[in-house]
Amino acid sequence: MKSKWVRNVGLAVMAISLSFGSVSAVSASSKLSGRIVVNGSSALLPLTLQAANEFKKLNPKVKISASAAGSVTGPQAVRKGIADIGACDWDASTAVPGFSAFTGQVANKVAVEPFAAVANSSSGVSDLSTSQLQGIFSGKITNWKDVGGKDQDIVVVNRAFGSGTRVNFQLKALMGTDFMTKGSNYKEVKSSGDMKTAIETTPGAIGYIDLVYVSGSKMQAVKINHIAPTAANVINGSYKVWSYGYYMTKGKPTGAVKAFIDYIQSTKFQEGSLKKLKFIPLSAMK
Amino acid sequence: MMEVPSSGTVYSGEELGRSLEGSSGKVFSRKARLSFYNRTFKIVCIASAVFVCLILFSILFMMGRTGILTFETVSFKTFFFSTDWVPENDQFGAFIFIFGTLALTLLTMIISVPLSVIIAIFLSEMTPSWLKNALRPILDLLVGIPSVVYGFLGMTVLIPMLRSVTGTNMGDGILAAAIVLTIMVLPTISRITDDSIVAVPKKFRDASYALGSTRFQTIVRVVIPAAKSGIMYAVILGMARAIGETMAVVMVIGNTPQLANALFKPTSVLTSNIVMQISNVEFDSTWNYALYMMGFLLLIISLIMIVAVRLIQGRGVKQ
Repeated sequence: MKSKWVRNVGLAVMAISLSFGSVSAVSASSKLSGRIVVNGSSALLPLTLQAANEFKKLNPKVKISASAAGSVTGPQAVRKGIADIGACDWDASTAVPGFSAFTGQVANKVAVEPFAAVANSSSGVSDLSTSQLQGIFSGKITNWKDVGGKDQDIVVVNRAFGSGTRVNFQLKALMGTDFMTKGSNYKEVKSSGDMKTAIETTPGAIGYIDLVYVSGSKMQAVKINHIAPTAANVINGSYKVWSYGYYMTKGKPTGAVKAFIDYIQSTKFQEGSLKKLKFIPLSAMK
Repeated sequence: MMEVPSSGTVYSGEELGRSLEGSSGKVFSRKARLSFYNRTFKIVCIASAVFVCLILFSILFMMGRTGILTFETVSFKTFFFSTDWVPENDQFGAFIFIFGTLALTLLTMIISVPLSVIIAIFLSEMTPSWLKNALRPILDLLVGIPSVVYGFLGMTVLIPMLRSVTGTNMGDGILAAAIVLTIMVLPTISRITDDSIVAVPKKFRDASYALGSTRFQTIVRVVIPAAKSGIMYAVILGMARAIGETMAVVMVIGNTPQLANALFKPTSVLTSNIVMQISNVEFDSTWNYALYMMGFLLLIISLIMIVAVRLIQGRGVKQ
């Protein structure tokens, strides 16, 4: 009696594992099917989800699951074999400050993400030069009056190390100079949402965020070297603080993964849903 | 003792036994089936218990094993006593976070314990029963509010308030975190304290009043000492919750790796540092191992707390 029960459970377990195994083992045939796991950047997640919805309607046999835990987890998950696609805000096949290159991975551009330095509206400053930004974020300039604003202490809000937004802001707005890491007017936040709340509720605060998050009257995007952070300025090349969003894959993408990336790169998606989500299409940067 | 009126009663026991052995047309006798069910049930229970223990020990083992790898590259002394946490430059001093955790817990307890004991006394000794019946469920509900809600309120309501009251620039820091944690552990501590005060026998109070003591004297000199072990139990449970709390703390503490030597200085504790960094570090790096080690430390601390709770409980039973 007992052995029968055990056998039944055993069979069930086997059947379940087989069915899972077979799903991931199937590769592209004439009718596309398979399973795609996406992990990584939270900035790219809305784009991934939107694309996955549309792609699944065209290819009902393809299963796509997407999650986000931060840029660097993308290429890491790909390296460990947990994910097929690692979404990352920088080209992880090359080294950036703090992160070595992920060898053997191919970076597929999927979108353009602009970033902006944002300050609490109380600061009275709307335009900063690169050297002023460097001074503020390294802790050398501590009062807004030193950069033409009100007599108010500057509170620097930073993203935690490993954030894709942080990597890009450091590389392109601060020209690679270091952030301050200590002080009683310095704090770190976990996500873009926390950054927005912190900037909006802290008088004198400055930080940086994806351009799509900038809204409302409590925070303002700061012009960098007299150039406003707008999509138009990114496209005409005058505003430099932006980066491509990448899908990292182990080697060249194949099968369903390739079809999915192709779909995101297609003109239909780039000019349609991607623009609606306030990303900038790849074609605009040529 | 007395003569049994009829011998029928003597029979019935045997009949009961016979019915157990008697076949009911099935392959196995009733007795065999019963003992099989009993044994199976026992095995299932034991297996579940072993399973839980196995999970606990494998978690401990996994955390410990990964954490220990830290000491391949970082010396024991540096990890526990250095205040330099710059993992980008291979400096792994976790003292800031250990100190922060202890300081935050201590501060939380200093604020929350007197408050919750007073609430418990009010609840158990001074309130009419209709109010008791209304307040107790409310406190129980407060325990169930997700910590992220407390954190968000702390971030958007408490911190601007602290800023305007004290005139500091940020308001983030150990005091803000302690206030949020106090609100979180208050219901836990006061409800358990309340229960242990209610459990104090009425005769103690009667005796005290009979000797001419006032209500205040009775409560402070008789009831609270009698409920002491229960109160300690409540305090330790609250402390365990305060030490392990992550989400709410992350949102108000500022997350800056510097020593918490002032009430309004952004700092970081074990839990908040782990949750801020774990998703962004590479799998096989000293940084990752160091974070695991910090998690292991937290586990050890809460294990010690649980052992302490068991000891105190044991003493309470003996009394």
